[in-house]
Amino acid sequence: MKQVININFQGRVIPIEVSAFELLKSYTDSLAKYFSNEDGKEEIINDIENRIGELFQERLKAGVTCITDDDVNAIIRSMGRPEDLEAVEETTSQQSNNTQQQRTEQQSQSTSTSQTTETHRRLFRDENHKVLGGVCSGFANYFGTDIIIIRIIAVLLAGVLIVPYLILWVAVPSSASVEIGGARKKLYRDSDDKIIAGVGSGLGNYFGVNPWIPRVLFLLPFLSFIFHWSHMAFLDFPNFIRFSFSPGSLMVYIILWLVIPEAVTTAEKLEMKGEKVDLNSIKNSVMEEMKGVKQRAEKFGQEAKTFAEEKGKTVGAEMSNVARRSSRSFGDIILLLLKIFGYFIIGVVCFVLVVVLFAIAIGAIGVFPLKDFIINDGWQNILAWGTLIFFIAVPVIGVITWIIRRLTKAKKSGRLLRFSFISLWIIGWASVVMLVASIAKNFKNENNRYAQPVALINPTVDKLEITGPDDITWYNARNNFFRFAPFTNINDEDTLYLSNVHFRIVKSNNDSFQVSIMKLANGESRKDAEQIAAKYDYTLTQYDTLLRTPVGIAITRNNKFRNQHAIVTVAVPVGKRIKIDQKIWKTPSGRVNIEFDNSDWDDSWGNEERGWTTNVEYIMKADGLYTMDGIPAYKEHHDGDDDSDEPVPGNIKKEIQKAISDSIKAQELKDSIQKNLQQPKQKAFNENKTNAIMIPTGLPIINSMMQ
Amino acid sequence: MNIDNTASQMRKGVLEFCILSVIKQGEAYPSDIIEKMKAANLNIFEGTLYPLLTRLKNAEFLTYRWVESNSGPPRKYFSLTEKGAAFYKELEATWNELANAVKALSDAGQNNFNS
Repeated sequence: MKQVININFQGRVIPIEVSAFELLKSYTDSLAKYFSNEDGKEEIINDIENRIGELFQERLKAGVTCITDDDVNAIIRSMGRPEDLEAVEETTSQQSNNTQQQRTEQQSQSTSTSQTTETHRRLFRDENHKVLGGVCSGFANYFGTDIIIIRIIAVLLAGVLIVPYLILWVAVPSSASVEIGGARKKLYRDSDDKIIAGVGSGLGNYFGVNPWIPRVLFLLPFLSFIFHWSHMAFLDFPNFIRFSFSPGSLMVYIILWLVIPEAVTTAEKLEMKGEKVDLNSIKNSVMEEMKGVKQRAEKFGQEAKTFAEEKGKTVGAEMSNVARRSSRSFGDIILLLLKIFGYFIIGVVCFVLVVVLFAIAIGAIGVFPLKDFIINDGWQNILAWGTLIFFIAVPVIGVITWIIRRLTKAKKSGRLLRFSFISLWIIGWASVVMLVASIAKNFKNENNRYAQPVALINPTVDKLEITGPDDITWYNARNNFFRFAPFTNINDEDTLYLSNVHFRIVKSNNDSFQVSIMKLANGESRKDAEQIAAKYDYTLTQYDTLLRTPVGIAITRNNKFRNQHAIVTVAVPVGKRIKIDQKIWKTPSGRVNIEFDNSDWDDSWGNEERGWTTNVEYIMKADGLYTMDGIPAYKEHHDGDDDSDEPVPGNIKKEIQKAISDSIKAQELKDSIQKNLQQPKQKAFNENKTNAIMIPTGLPIINSMMQ
Repeated sequence: MNIDNTASQMRKGVLEFCILSVIKQGEAYPSDIIEKMKAANLNIFEGTLYPLLTRLKNAEFLTYRWVESNSGPPRKYFSLTEKGAAFYKELEATWNELANAVKALSDAGQNNFNS
């Protein structure tokens, strides 16, 4: 029967037989004595112990329950006893003094030639030769090429490589990987000090902070949720963080609960605390094993005493280190908190990135059938496929693979895999950039602005009603995803309809309605743009007082999308009425942008896409458009917004109206004064106001004054 | 004179050169070095390697960095410094000279013996 103790050897918890432990101890002591005159004595001993620890670990992994005498003896045999080393030391020191005295043996000659087996290399960022993040020099190390070459490639492809570079910067470990002493903590849940599941105390142990710090971090979001702290300056996180903060912390807690193992055995508890001082850990573990047995405790006392004496000297050197470790200053805690917070942010960002990635992927697959309506055949087509496959599919597959490998704890190095994914993705980036560039080229120029007047049958009617197409048969047979504003296809799958149409209601300068259409498009050159604009058809049809818009601008595989858009200007004479029928919503994208010029028109309203109420009659007055109730069109909409939830009693409403009309009068007065004073300036200002209008599809239309 | 002793003396004389040769091929972890030496039929004690590495490092011929390992604490990966590379070149030249000399001499001896 042999007694087994747990020791913390170079940061590893090793169950070892007491006799084997003594053997080991005497061996390390003899080594310490042997190297006592050596320069880097501590380092040598440390390296050797580290190696021994590793060998122990291998034994334990092989399935043995504890380290036995035989194991230690085997290790000592392979490491060599001081007696074995003696001769070597002498000659080698001689040899280093006088290399001429080298002598040879056939065997050793083969060492220099037979070393063809590949060394196990890993990709690291090289902190020693870095310019920015050390990614280039890391690659140079990895491939054994000159840094300059990698740098030149990187700089040449700067535009394409910047994102992969940043990702690599984050993902690839630095060569200056933290110099962790010996103790390597492991993350466990601490069941001895738990409130719910011990996640908080486990994290506290791992980061060496009070368990209440992680606990409060978990609680904080809930508290802020309750007390609405978010208005406080320092808690005013960007939206996405705040969003992930409140339910996020609960989710994170649950995930950690599931993922982190509970520290059950002594070894795990020691690992959890990452205790470094061997004496302590031995004491603790032995104490536990010998609960209540007094004699043994005494025996332990002796053991500990001798251990302390012998080990004292060697430990002494480490003690200062340990002391520094164990007494954490306030600064350290702050640093740790920042670290935790940093990891949290990184985690959130990664999560968002993954979500965005998948969203883009799904979106891209949906939009992909549209590509024939936008891009040319040949190179652009190839690039589009390259984008879909390498830029979108590759990272998605990569992420899925990574997750699966993580879940299955794949032991095999994923280096090759990672490398091929990254290089494929770089190809993807190249395709994206080239595709965007070449498409941008196709959209470079716009045609000349030219408003074609539409001949109305009876321009002097009292009222004009703008309405949409009567009935539309939606093409729905196979692909639902064809419905992307502004693209919609109707009737068949070879034609898309753009509802890239913008209506402007302005005041007529005589007593008849005037309608004009301006067809616009982009092209590689102005001439191309002119041709494209001339090619497409957009005509309004008039039935008495009805002005009917077509379904949209037709796009086919031959007449590709080049931002074709039309601006319809309807000039309403003073005293006449205009109405926009609800059918206008029936146009493919579901809406048509309508805007009306008014002397009080505000820029911010100009972009308001719902600045118009359908099925409401408006009347043109000398100073702009009003509803039949006499409320200015823009106010009407504005008030409608405000009043929607609480109806205003009639008299108050009247007062409001009065106040509004008063203010309008005042405004008018002011305007007329200003106009008189600085007519030219005002005019220029008005022109600016209406210059840029966003249509709801997100495509900007540059609009010029047409009057 | 003990034959074993002489043989091992010969072997030990070129240890540094061998270690540098291994490291020159790329960053190496001490047990890698041992493995390679074993593969080349040059058996040394690990206990011999560590002091040598430390000495070479202290002489600024080698540098190392900590590399996280999948199992256990980070490992020291050694690589040659520029100074070390120069040193290696010198050693290599010396070695070639020596090897040729020894070969020439022993061949000559062999021929003499045969004739």
